[in-house]
Amino acid sequence: MDTSWYLVLSALLFAVGFSGVLLRRSPLVILLCVELMLNAGNLALLAMSRSLGDQDGQVFALIVMVIAACEVVVGLGLIVAAYRRRMPLNVDDFRSLRG
Amino acid sequence: MLQSYLPILVFATLGILVGGAFVLLNGIIGPRKPNKVKIEPYECGLPSQVQRTFRFGVSFYMLAMLFILFDIEVVFLYPVGVLVSAAGSIFLLVEIIIFVVLLMTALVFVWARGALDWK
Amino acid sequence: MTFTAPQIDYAGLSPIITLTAGVVIVLMVGLLPRAGRWTCSVLTLGVLGTAAGLAIWQWGEHTDLVAGTLRLDELGLAALLIALFAAAVTVILSVREPAAEGAGHGAFYALLLGSVLGMAILSMSQNLVSFFIGLELLSIPLYVLCGSAVRREASLEAGLKYLIIGSVGSATLLYGFALIYGTAGSTDYNEIAQGIRNGGLADDTLILIGTAMAATGLAFKISIAPFHQWTPDVYQGAPTPVTSFMAVATKTVAFIASIRLFELALGPVEASWDGALAVLAVISIAVGNIGALGQDSIKRLLGYSGIAQAGYILSGLVVFDEFGVEAIIFYLAAYALMNLAVFVPLVARERETPFADDIRSVEGLGGSRPLLAWPMTIGLLGLAGIPGTVGFMGKLFLIEAAVGGHFTWIGVAIVVGSMVSLAYYLRVIAAIWMRPEPAGAGAPAIAGASPEAPESNSAPGSTHGGDSSASRPGSTHGGDSSASRPGSTHGGDSSASRPGSPGGSRCWLIVGVGMLCAAATIFFGIDPSPLVDWAANAGQSFDPFAG
Repeated sequence: MDTSWYLVLSALLFAVGFSGVLLRRSPLVILLCVELMLNAGNLALLAMSRSLGDQDGQVFALIVMVIAACEVVVGLGLIVAAYRRRMPLNVDDFRSLRG
Repeated sequence: MLQSYLPILVFATLGILVGGAFVLLNGIIGPRKPNKVKIEPYECGLPSQVQRTFRFGVSFYMLAMLFILFDIEVVFLYPVGVLVSAAGSIFLLVEIIIFVVLLMTALVFVWARGALDWK
Repeated sequence: MTFTAPQIDYAGLSPIITLTAGVVIVLMVGLLPRAGRWTCSVLTLGVLGTAAGLAIWQWGEHTDLVAGTLRLDELGLAALLIALFAAAVTVILSVREPAAEGAGHGAFYALLLGSVLGMAILSMSQNLVSFFIGLELLSIPLYVLCGSAVRREASLEAGLKYLIIGSVGSATLLYGFALIYGTAGSTDYNEIAQGIRNGGLADDTLILIGTAMAATGLAFKISIAPFHQWTPDVYQGAPTPVTSFMAVATKTVAFIASIRLFELALGPVEASWDGALAVLAVISIAVGNIGALGQDSIKRLLGYSGIAQAGYILSGLVVFDEFGVEAIIFYLAAYALMNLAVFVPLVARERETPFADDIRSVEGLGGSRPLLAWPMTIGLLGLAGIPGTVGFMGKLFLIEAAVGGHFTWIGVAIVVGSMVSLAYYLRVIAAIWMRPEPAGAGAPAIAGASPEAPESNSAPGSTHGGDSSASRPGSTHGGDSSASRPGSTHGGDSSASRPGSPGGSRCWLIVGVGMLCAAATIFFGIDPSPLVDWAANAGQSFDPFAG
C-alpha cells in the first residue's frame, strides 16, 4: 500500500485535532485534540520511516509519545488545580487576563 | 521444524491443566459463605452502584496522572529490549540504571510530597 | 553483529550532565525538612555557576556529541551562557517569591533547572529529534512554573493558556518535522541539507509545507505575530521572576535553535522562507509596538515589547549570512541585560506596593528609591534603543545586517518601530521620575487593593523584615558595593522613608543584580567591542553559508 494514504490520514487527523482546538470550549477536550494533532505527527513519522526503511522515525515517534504524555499530565494537573479553585472550566470564560 | 513448537504445546497444556485443576478443586472443596457484598460484581476500588451525581475524588486524578507518567516512561526501555546484540554491553547496563534511578527519584519525590496518599 | 558502545565526549556534555544532576539534587534536597529557601537557592546558583564554568571551559571546542545529535560550538554555548545568566537572576528574584514558597523551593528550582537543561539541549541540537526533545524539556517545566502560583487565578489561567497554545505550536512543529524527515530522508541537519540538494527537492511541495509548519510552530514559541496572542496574557499572569526568565532565556535559545534549523538544515530552500519570515518580522514589529501603547500593566507592556523585539531579531535570520547571525547573538545578549534591568525593580516593587505590576507601582520611584529607579530607566531606554545604551548598538547591527542583506525595508521598519516604542517606554519613565508616589505605596498590607496583594505580601515584615536587619546589616552592603552605591544612601532611604518596610531590608541582592544589568547595559553601549568580539566569535563557529 502506498505511503501517501497514511499521509492523507495523518493530515486529516491533524486537521480534525486543530479544528477541535479552535472550536471546542472545554480545556479537557482541547487537550484531547492537541493529543490528536501530536498523534497525527506520529503517524506521519511512522509512515515516512517505513517508506524510507529508516529507524530514526520510529525512535522519534517513541519520544513523541512520552512527551505527549507529559504534556497531558501537566495539562490535567492545571485543570484539576483550576477545578479545585472553582474556576469556570470553559476557555471562553478565561478572561481575568485582559488589557 | 514443527518440533521447535513442542515447548509451546507443553507450556499451554501445563497451563490449562494446572489452572483448571485449581479452579475445579476450589469449587469442590472450598467453603461457601455468601453475603451481600461478596456476590456483588467486582469493580476495583469503587462502589459498583454509581449514582448520577457521583464524582471521582481529586486523589483519583492525582494517581491516574502519575500512573500515565510512569507507565509511559517505560517506553524508553523498549528500544533496549529489542537490541538483543547489546545483551553483554556494560555501557547499556549503566544507561538503564541511570534511567531507572531518575525514575526512582521522581517516585521518591512524589511519595514524600504525599501525592500517593489516598484522601 | 555485535553492539559497540558509542563514543561519548563527556567533557563536551559536561554542562548538560551537570544540569541533569542538579535537577535531581535540588529536588531531593528540597524534600529535607531543614531545607529552607536559602539552601535550595544557593544550591541552584551553584549548579548554574558550575554549568557556566564548564561551558566557558569548553569554549572553542568544535565537535559533534552523541552521534551528531548535538553540536558543540560557540553558538550554542553563547546561548547557554545567556540562559544560565537569566536563570541565575531568576533564582535571586525567586528567593522570596510567594509562588516558590507555595510550590516548595526544591520543586520550583528543580523545574527551573529542568527548563535550563532543555535550553542547553535545544541550543546545541543538530537533529530534529534532539530539537524536539530540547524544546519540550524547555516548555513543559515553564508551563508548570507559569501556573505555580496556584492561589492566584491569573497564574493558573496563564499556565493553562501557555500549555494549550504551546502544545498546538509543538504539534504543528512536529508535523512539519515529520514531512521534512520523510522527504529529505534524515533527521540530521547536515544530511537534510544534503538530501535536499542532491534530490533537487528545493521546490518539493512536502518540503515547503514542512518548512512552513515548522516556522509556524516556532513562531508560536518565540511569539512572532500573528501567533502572539498568548504572550501578554501569559507574561502578566505568570509569577514575575518566571516572566523574566521566559522573556529572556526562552527567546534567546529558541532564536539560536532556529538559526541552526533554518540556516543549516533548510538552507537550500532559503529562497522560499526568507520572504515569508521577513513579512512576519515586520508584522511583529507593528503589532508589538502598537499593542504596547495603551497598556497599564508593565508586564503586559513588556509582553508586547517582547513581540516587537522578536520582530527586530528575526530580521537577522532572514538575511541568511554570517553578519546576521552575529547581529542576532549581540542583540540577544543586549536584550537579556536590558530586560533583566527592567524586571528586577519590577519584582521588588511588586512586593512592596499593593499595585502588583500596574504602572502605579513605579510612580514616584525616582524620588523614593533611586537605586531601583535607575536600572529600570536605563533598561527601558536600552529597549527603546537610545544611543549610549547597548540596545542602540544592537539595533544598529541588526539594521546594518538587514540593509547589507538587501532587506532595507526591514531596516526601515526597525527604525519606525523604535520611534513608536519610545512613546510607551517614556510613559513608564515619566511615571518613575515625574509623578509623586501614590498614597498607600509604602503600606503593602492593604488587602483588596488588587487581587495580587494578599499573596504577594503574605510574608511581610514579620518574616523577613526582622531576619535581615539582624543577620546581615551593613556588612554585605559595604562589602561589595561601597564604591558604586554607598550603603548609607540605601540604608537611610529604606529605614527613613518606610521603617519596617518588607522590601527595604533584603534589597541589597535585588538592587545589586539590577544595578549590575544596568551598568552592563551602559558599559557595552559605550564600548561594545568586548561583546562584539564575543558575538563574532560565536557567529563564526557556525558557517553553513558556503554551500
